[in-house]
Order: sequence, then C-alpha cells, then structure tokens
Amino acid sequence: MLYYLSLPILSILLIVLQSTITDIIFSGSLLFEMSLIVVIYAGFRLDLIKGMVLAFVFGFVFDCVGGSVPGLFVFIYMIIFLFSFFVSDWLDTGKIHVVVLFSFFCAFLKEIILNLFYYMAFHINVMMNGYSIVFMQALIISLSAPLLFYLMDRAEIFIYEKRV
Amino acid sequence: MFFLKKYKIIIFIAVFLVTALMMISYNLKYGMNNSFLRKIVMETVSPVQEVLSVSIQSVKDSWLRYILLVGIEDENRNLKKKINDLKAVLVSYQEGYREAQRLKKLLSISDNNNYRFIAARVIGREQAALSRTVMINKGSSDGLKNGMPVIAPPGLIGRLVDVSLNVSRVLLFIDENSNIDAIVQRNRTQGIISGAGSGGMILKYISKTQDVKEGDVIVSSGMGGVFPKGWLIGQVIYVDRQDASLFLKIKVAPYVDFSKLEELLILSSDETKFK
Repeated sequence: MLYYLSLPILSILLIVLQSTITDIIFSGSLLFEMSLIVVIYAGFRLDLIKGMVLAFVFGFVFDCVGGSVPGLFVFIYMIIFLFSFFVSDWLDTGKIHVVVLFSFFCAFLKEIILNLFYYMAFHINVMMNGYSIVFMQALIISLSAPLLFYLMDRAEIFIYEKRV
Repeated sequence: MFFLKKYKIIIFIAVFLVTALMMISYNLKYGMNNSFLRKIVMETVSPVQEVLSVSIQSVKDSWLRYILLVGIEDENRNLKKKINDLKAVLVSYQEGYREAQRLKKLLSISDNNNYRFIAARVIGREQAALSRTVMINKGSSDGLKNGMPVIAPPGLIGRLVDVSLNVSRVLLFIDENSNIDAIVQRNRTQGIISGAGSGGMILKYISKTQDVKEGDVIVSSGMGGVFPKGWLIGQVIYVDRQDASLFLKIKVAPYVDFSKLEELLILSSDETKFK
C-alpha cells in the first residue's frame, strides 16, 4: 500500500528533478528522461500490476508537467513497460551492456511512437529536424541507465532489505 | 467468471491501455487544458519545482562562481607574468630611448664641428679622493692617443691620459691634476681651470681687477694646442673677492654630471673633417 501511496509523490519529485536538470544542464535542448529509465527498470524488476500502475502514474505526471496531450505518455510508458516486462524473461537484465542497449532501443521506440502519434493526430513530423537530438537523447538515457539501475537496486535493498 | 480468471492479465492490461487511449481521445476532442486532475498535478508540482530549481540554481551559481574564481586566479597569474615581461620590455625600451637621446646629442656635436670624432662607451670609473678618471672601451687600435680632448654634450670634459690597445683612461676636468687654459666668454679674461674633485673646478689666476660674475660661461682658450678653442667647460657659480690674495677665487661648475657619463666623443686633433 505504501508503494501505491508514495508513487505519485516520487513521480512528481523525479519528473520535476529531470525537468530541472534538463533546464540547467542542457538548457532545454535535450531531455534527460529518467522517468523512462524507471519504467524500463519496473519492467525488469516489478510485477505486472505494480509496474502498470507505476507506468500510468509516471506517464500522467509527465503529461501534466511536460504539457503534452494528456494520456499520451501514459500510453507510451505503459507500452514500454509491457515490452520490458515481457522481454525481461529472455534477457539477462543484470548485464550492463544489455541495460544500455535495451534503454537505447526503448528511447528510440518512445520517439517512434511519439512521432507516429503527432503525425496521425496533427500531421506534424516532430523528428524532421531533430534526428541528431533524438540520437543524443537516446544515448544519454542508455548511458545513464546502468547508474540509475544500480541506485534503484540499492534503494530497493535499503527499503525491503532484499531485492523484491 | 472462468473467463475473467483465465484472461485477467490481458483484461488488466487492456483496461489500462484503453483508459490511456480514452484520455488521449478525450483530450484531443475537448482540449487539453480543462482537465481537473491536470490542474491538481500542476499545483502540486509548482512548489516542488520552485524549491528544487532554486536549490539547484544556487548550487550551480556557487559552482560557476568557484570556476570563475579559479579562472580569475589563473588569469591573474598570467597577467602578473605578462606585466613583469612587459616591464622588462619597457625598461629595455626606456634604456634604448635614453641611449638614443644621448647619442643624438653626441651626433649633433660631431655634425656641427669640423673635427673627426671617435665615439666611446664608459666602462669604468675611478672616483678616488685625488683621482677623477673614467675608463672607455676604445684604445690605440681605434686611433686614440694620449692627450686627445674628450667631449660629452654640451662641451669638453677632459683628456686621454692613459691609452692602451683597446681601453683608455680619461682624466676629467674635475681631477685635481687637471689644468687647462680657459677664458671667460663674456669679457675674454684668461685663466687656468683646475680640478677641485667633488667641488667641481676652480678658475685660477684671474686678477681682482677683472670683471667676473656668477653665471659667466667659461670656454676653452685653445692655447697649448691640446683643446680646441671655444668649447664649453663650465659656468661660474661663486666669486670670492674678500680673500687676501691677488687673485679672485672663482668656483666653476661643469656642465656635465660626471657621475652619469655613459657615452663620450674623443676629438681626434690630428685629422679634421672637412664639410
């Protein structure tokens, strides 16, 4: 129960932190999407219900803070969670290179879904001038994923005294 | 019921996904800014964002200040080094400028007279109690001979007394062994200029009946054939008529500060330059 109650607060803190970091470090040109890494981590480590709720809450808060169409990131995060969840059985998720490559792939997947949505809904190609930015963003997410995975593992052990 | 149990995972996933799609659909149809939940989240986020932003910004500012200070320290060090380098350059330029000024004066003397001059640099001084001489870097190999007059702007300062191959000694007029024939420029009164060491020079053998005043200019008389006629020697600074002797006691100050001599001209008396 504590997990579900703390989820909205944690999601707000994380998303505010990532948007602040984005503003300060990258001056708004790149988005350091830690929430996506958390969703991937949830897909690897959490059960389906907890993970789906996490993806929903994170997506919703991201939609509200980021100013995108409400429900869009809810949908994307849930897709990525489900993908990570079902793929985790076939992957050695303890290996750093697996985490890096999978995060890179998920970051691209997210951009493809986002682009498809905007193209279908508004006939806008959001990636038209920003392939290098998308690549850089995916690279940053994939390279920082192992560190965040490690920190979340440590937090999990600290809270539950063992890995869930 | 069996159907629900068998497909509960699929139903669960489907419910979530459909909810998300409905949210998208609803917001696309009725606009994005009317959601009540969205407003609640925004209101909750705003103070957190403010606190976080202020704290991170202050950390960033402190870091930037530190970086700036480190940069300033490096810059300061580099600028100090640059200032020292430039000071050294400036001193060398000032030296060059002063040398040029002195040489210009020497050149103006040599250009205005029909004599042959040999330029020399002072390389040593002897300022003993009785001897007032300077060493120069030219000698007999440069054509110098004993007795040649030595000039420094604006007039005569002495003569060569000890000439070796590459070095010579100049006996200055203030040396107590120096005696030269001189005249008072204003009234052509003739006398002998003798060295008086640090006291300058004394004009001797001028009768008390002669009209010599402070400020009178003393020039060489040309007698004896050593010094050319009409060259500046000094200026009368004191005339004592009270003394019991037959002659006036006249103190003469040289025009040149002998302690600051650096470059000299030696007047070659046996060869003259014809313009």
